[in-house]
Amino acid sequence: MAKERSENWKYYDHLKKIYKKPEDYELAGKSYTRVDAEDKVTGRAKYTEDIILPGMLYGKLKRSPYAHAKIISIDTSKAEALSGVKCVITGKDFHGGKLGNPEAFKELADKDPLCRDEVRFVGDEVAAVAAVDEETAQEAIDLIEVVYEELPCVLNSTDALKDDAPAVHYPDTHNISMFTTMQAGDCDKAFAEADYTDKHHYSTQMMVHAAIEPHGAIAKWENNELTVWTTTQGAYVSRFWIAYGLGIPQSQVRVIKPYVGGGFGGKLDAFPHELSACLMAMKTGRPVKIILSREEVFFGTRSRHPIEFTIESAFKKDGTMLAKRCQHVLDGGAYGGSGIAANALSLIWATFPYRIPNLDMTARRPYTNKPASGAMRGYSACQVHFANDVHMDEVAEELGIDPVELRRINGCVPGYQGPTGLQVTSCAFRETLDKASEAIHWEERKNNLKPGEGIGVAGSGFVSGTGFPVLETPAYASASTTVRLNREGYATVFTGANEIGQGSDTVMTMIVAEELGLKMDEVKLVQSDTTLTPYDAGSFGSRVTFLGGNATRRAVGDAKLKLLEVVAESWGCKPEDITMKDHRVFIKSDSEKNISYSEGIWMYEEKHFGKAVIGVGSFAHDGDKDIYVKNEGNYAPAYSFSTGAARVEVDDETGCIDISDFIFAHDCGRPLNLRAVEGQIEGSVLLGLGFAVYEECLFNEKGKMLNPSFRDYRFPTALDMPQIQSIICGEPDEEGPFGAKEAGEGSTAPVGPAIVNAINRATGLKFHDLPVTPEKVWRAIKEKKAAEAANH
Amino acid sequence: MKEESNRMRTIQMKLNDEPVEALIQENRSMLDFLRNNMGLTGTKKGCEEGECGACTILLNGKPVNSCLMLAVEADGQEITTIEGIKKNSDLHPVQKAFIEKWALQCGFCTPGMIMSAIVLLEENPNPTEYEIRDAIAGNLCRCTGYSKIVEAISAAAEVLREV
Repeated sequence: MAKERSENWKYYDHLKKIYKKPEDYELAGKSYTRVDAEDKVTGRAKYTEDIILPGMLYGKLKRSPYAHAKIISIDTSKAEALSGVKCVITGKDFHGGKLGNPEAFKELADKDPLCRDEVRFVGDEVAAVAAVDEETAQEAIDLIEVVYEELPCVLNSTDALKDDAPAVHYPDTHNISMFTTMQAGDCDKAFAEADYTDKHHYSTQMMVHAAIEPHGAIAKWENNELTVWTTTQGAYVSRFWIAYGLGIPQSQVRVIKPYVGGGFGGKLDAFPHELSACLMAMKTGRPVKIILSREEVFFGTRSRHPIEFTIESAFKKDGTMLAKRCQHVLDGGAYGGSGIAANALSLIWATFPYRIPNLDMTARRPYTNKPASGAMRGYSACQVHFANDVHMDEVAEELGIDPVELRRINGCVPGYQGPTGLQVTSCAFRETLDKASEAIHWEERKNNLKPGEGIGVAGSGFVSGTGFPVLETPAYASASTTVRLNREGYATVFTGANEIGQGSDTVMTMIVAEELGLKMDEVKLVQSDTTLTPYDAGSFGSRVTFLGGNATRRAVGDAKLKLLEVVAESWGCKPEDITMKDHRVFIKSDSEKNISYSEGIWMYEEKHFGKAVIGVGSFAHDGDKDIYVKNEGNYAPAYSFSTGAARVEVDDETGCIDISDFIFAHDCGRPLNLRAVEGQIEGSVLLGLGFAVYEECLFNEKGKMLNPSFRDYRFPTALDMPQIQSIICGEPDEEGPFGAKEAGEGSTAPVGPAIVNAINRATGLKFHDLPVTPEKVWRAIKEKKAAEAANH
Repeated sequence: MKEESNRMRTIQMKLNDEPVEALIQENRSMLDFLRNNMGLTGTKKGCEEGECGACTILLNGKPVNSCLMLAVEADGQEITTIEGIKKNSDLHPVQKAFIEKWALQCGFCTPGMIMSAIVLLEENPNPTEYEIRDAIAGNLCRCTGYSKIVEAISAAAEVLREV
């Protein structure tokens, strides 16, 4: 049930009468190019590392060589004495708060910008230097002498929970940073009445975002104001934490987001290098630039939570799912940050895309002495849907029901209300299932597979616009936009939406051009600068197109209505009788009655004594704000659904896995641009495929990462990627901008389980732990053959 | 040690069709020279260990990772960067194809990717899909899944064959 909506919302509903109608769309859902494409293909696009300021200093960080140690002393005198060194700082130089989490979880503010007393992972930051060049800064870093007393460390979540585990932060807590439960119905009763129950353990590994652009920041302190250019997914998020960590008001900090070379969730937190660049700029009065090395990005930023799952499920003979009990243990690494959301998210995802009336679920997130886990594309969903959908296939086999059919029986349907309060609106899950299985030729192939050949499917559901605020926000992770109509024949859109590669600049530009009847190059976009653009919570949780897109449409609608009211008054008609197209404003029923876009704005400005035509718009989901505390309620304004289908060939001599086809059917409402949606899906398949069979961060027994380079970490290259077929399903969503829903995040989730289900089918084995590498497959096949030989 | 690394040398090269003479530190990488001394920031620094390919430039028409090359090695050579591939101020057909096919997202790997593609199409005007994938296997992209990049290079090949 929609809640009583505010006056503000009613005004926005009122704007719908002057919005373009689907039959008149000239851009939405049609063909156009990215607004940043020419900048990017020519190398003109400026990223943080490309910015060079006069008098700029270069910074480096001193990092802990131990996974866990007490800091006894830090001697910076030799570093300070080195010629060319302008500033050396340690933890005691910061006078603000600890970095951590939003209002609801203040006690989890657990990270000093530079460590004061203790280091908690190999790579934890203890000091920073600014010098005239990078070489000098690095030399100075090596001259800083830190005396440590090594402490026992804990390197995985199972050990972290033990009674005698060393405390990463707080004693007597079993290292648990977050504990979340979610219950619905009566699980005991459902299990007692079930025809079939099944219990398995699954696990996923640590992977990293590996955006090609390394993290970095440049800070400048002038006229008592800090200006920071940083590789961020949320300029406002960065501003909050920079001010908080430095102990200065947010009004003294301006964050500008240049082009960002990929985020995937890894650039959402505040990082010590940002805070250190800021503090050293304030101390020296000179701009300070710190760009992390690739190795530092691997072990010093964020990663995807490894999760251990125990899943127990109850079914009726006919395949109806009755109940699920599960325990999730998430390896949080050394700190919280954006990572604490992973816990509750893992439970929310576990409630769909299948309808499960009875649930009993817990999630624990222990600290360990490893790099902090954090948000990553398909946040918790990749892990959860892997475990759930591999589990579904195992159940299907036991019940003797086709795996596609079992998913069809239990899949979400439009209007479904989940037992914990999720409210699904538009939903084409079954259509995605049907189309993906048809495209992989499921029925023809399933009983005619060659030796070593396997096919697999997996489903997923995801939010379209997360409700969770990373910061306290005026209204629930809101997005806002301002649009100004210029009488010289163009419009300007000021959006806080953070372009990180996903194409948000293009979407916002398109929306304004569509409503005003302008060409896209007649819309100038100003984005992600906390001094210039209105509030936006950031690029996470698949919220940008849905929330930011709606905010932009409302903003342009507000401006358009103001303009049309004046024109309508002059023409003696109603605003809804008028439309804007091809640079002209005209009466729909009489295109002869028209003026140019510029004449329209002149008319408005003349009537209002020169006042500019400005529209403002915002969007915030009116969901349940306390979902993270009370663990029930509706989370998002809409949900997306998808099915992945894979065909693999496994070489039983070598264990090599050839993923020959990947089909992805996705319900994203109305795609605002088909190629953009396909691009998101194809990128998702790369991340999901890497997760399934390639990528894993490895550590030695001392907590040092063993493969912090692209070569040793190894994510898929062009030669490793299969042909990907994207199929767009579903109907336009009622609340989405032009009917759109999310396309880029949830789509990572079904990739891994579809591939693993195909591998299981190809080998007759059951893989429960990611990644399923060729070595693992080879060993398992060898063991199976040995066992078979022993039985003969 | 430091003294030695600070040794300077004058080098001459043809950079994007223009003669360039520069006094540079002997231990400076070509990537740093281009980005910091010449202001050519289109060549990207993604890893500095020759793995990501974002810093790909052309040395006498062949693709190299500029992070693994010393600037002094360019002495007497011809260097082309992403800033030098336009023809008569018109975008190169590979650049146009990348725009039309949405073959980029964050754009950070794009310049390096385009440099590798240009060399491929000069050497092999009619590449198979496998040959395209092989030619860009040293250029990592984390956004696109490579599909649209392969499609764009294939489309550019067609255009270039007709020229």
